[in-house]
Amino acid sequence: MPPIAQYVFNGVVTGGILALPAVAFSLLWRLLRFPNFAVSTYLTVGAYVALMLNRGVRAPIEVAWLGALVATGAVALAVDRIAFRPMRARRPFSLAIASIGVAFVLENVVRFVWGNDFRSYDVPVTRATSVAGLRIGRDQLLILGVAVVMMAVAQTFLLRTRLGIAMRATADNPLLAAVKGVPTERVIALATLGGGALAGGAGVFLGLDASIDPLMGGGLIISVFAAAILGGVGSAPGALAGALIVGVMEEVGTLVVPPTYKTAIGFTIILAVLLVRPTGLAGARA
Amino acid sequence: MIGYLTAIATLVGVRALLTLGLNVQWGFTGLVNLGAVAFFAVGAYTSALLAVGGTPLVFAWPAGIGLAAAAAAALAMVALRLREDYLAIVTLGFGEVLRLFLLNEAWLTRGANGVTAIPRPMHARFAEHYDLFYLGVVVAAVAGKPVFRFKVQAFALGAAVAGLAGILFAHYLAYIEPNMFLPQESLFVWLALILGGSGNNRGALVGSIVLLGLLEGSRFAKDVIPFLTGVRLAAAQQMLVGVVLVVLMIRRPEGLLPEKAGQD
Repeated sequence: MPPIAQYVFNGVVTGGILALPAVAFSLLWRLLRFPNFAVSTYLTVGAYVALMLNRGVRAPIEVAWLGALVATGAVALAVDRIAFRPMRARRPFSLAIASIGVAFVLENVVRFVWGNDFRSYDVPVTRATSVAGLRIGRDQLLILGVAVVMMAVAQTFLLRTRLGIAMRATADNPLLAAVKGVPTERVIALATLGGGALAGGAGVFLGLDASIDPLMGGGLIISVFAAAILGGVGSAPGALAGALIVGVMEEVGTLVVPPTYKTAIGFTIILAVLLVRPTGLAGARA
Repeated sequence: MIGYLTAIATLVGVRALLTLGLNVQWGFTGLVNLGAVAFFAVGAYTSALLAVGGTPLVFAWPAGIGLAAAAAAALAMVALRLREDYLAIVTLGFGEVLRLFLLNEAWLTRGANGVTAIPRPMHARFAEHYDLFYLGVVVAAVAGKPVFRFKVQAFALGAAVAGLAGILFAHYLAYIEPNMFLPQESLFVWLALILGGSGNNRGALVGSIVLLGLLEGSRFAKDVIPFLTGVRLAAAQQMLVGVVLVVLMIRRPEGLLPEKAGQD
């Protein structure tokens, strides 16, 4: 049996992947005031776009990954325009229900085209190296590295650019931001595009780390929620920390409960946070 | 043909009860529940396992209803003070975790094999047992008026009606397994509710009939469009269900049979 450190390492990799949709979900929730249940399905969309490029036109996985970023961002934007924009003024729960409908449509479009089979990318097989008794895959390191860079870019954007600051202002107080001349719809469009790209890129990582099937993204929905709620809704660094904790707890948890109960671990984290400290680690007002 | 019609009538009845249960929670009381399938499953499994173990149905059925209500009351006491977007997430998670429990705890639930040979007291003459549906309808209608001052009671009562739906489902099919209780079933209940118009018991029936048409229509579509494989047909049908839900939410959130005051 591998040492517990192996589970922790695998959990960190899972958490790194999870962090991308968790940040997207958390920021979009704060900005648009409803939990978008379709975000985790964007992982599936990204994974299959890359599969199409990688297997269909023999694009290298790096190119396929870039394609997934762009295409998933575009899908997220189209979804926002078609489904969510006409409902902006409605109560959050109506939008949440609509987003479940959207997730259901996207998942079944994928199923319609590719079926239910498990698939994988055409990538050279790399051997895992052994470091201090840990099995560490080259892909895992690469995934973790790129995920960290993506997070850093997102955080820099939010803190340092005009549009990023406008985005945070709109999330904090949409009316005040609009009065001050912040172009609300442009901010929403940009956040949706960026959030979709983050999730789509994460989908390719998930496909590399595990496998590709129509339920791969939707199956992570509770984990993504757990990461965002634990981190504090609206906080990008919070969602990153939340994702790492959830990832590690879900992996280490498999030492105690069967792996099929991973979702239950995420659910327990959600309940615990909501009961003990509903504002999450970042402590912002949700 | 009669058998098929009986099956359809029963499934409409089961879905209508589920919709009525959700109507008690959301339509009349405004409580969010994305885990209707959980209470449906608790009712179905409790009654089925007890009955298969030899418990007379007069005890098995109330036990199923009671446990569904108790599970809902427990969840409600923890979760109902949450804001509705959090409640949506918690109830969805509850439904999914319960399904994992049914799948994994085979010592109790028989796991993926499911429960077989569940007694069918009413055989094919299920349609004669309208009194049971009627009971559910009356309970839902009475509760629908703002009798319940406490949200926990409304939540538990809605779950009890869902539990009754589960019992009828289990004893009609004589076989249940965890994958009959996927999270999407909760979504289908919402669709039926919104189709019919929330806060409207007559709408629940109409919504359930339209929903069943959407879900079962593929049996007929198979003959018309022969080039679609089974998986593709199912996917296309579920796409349609999703599109209908989104379009309804945008265009007609008050449903096909709106009451005077809409919920949204």
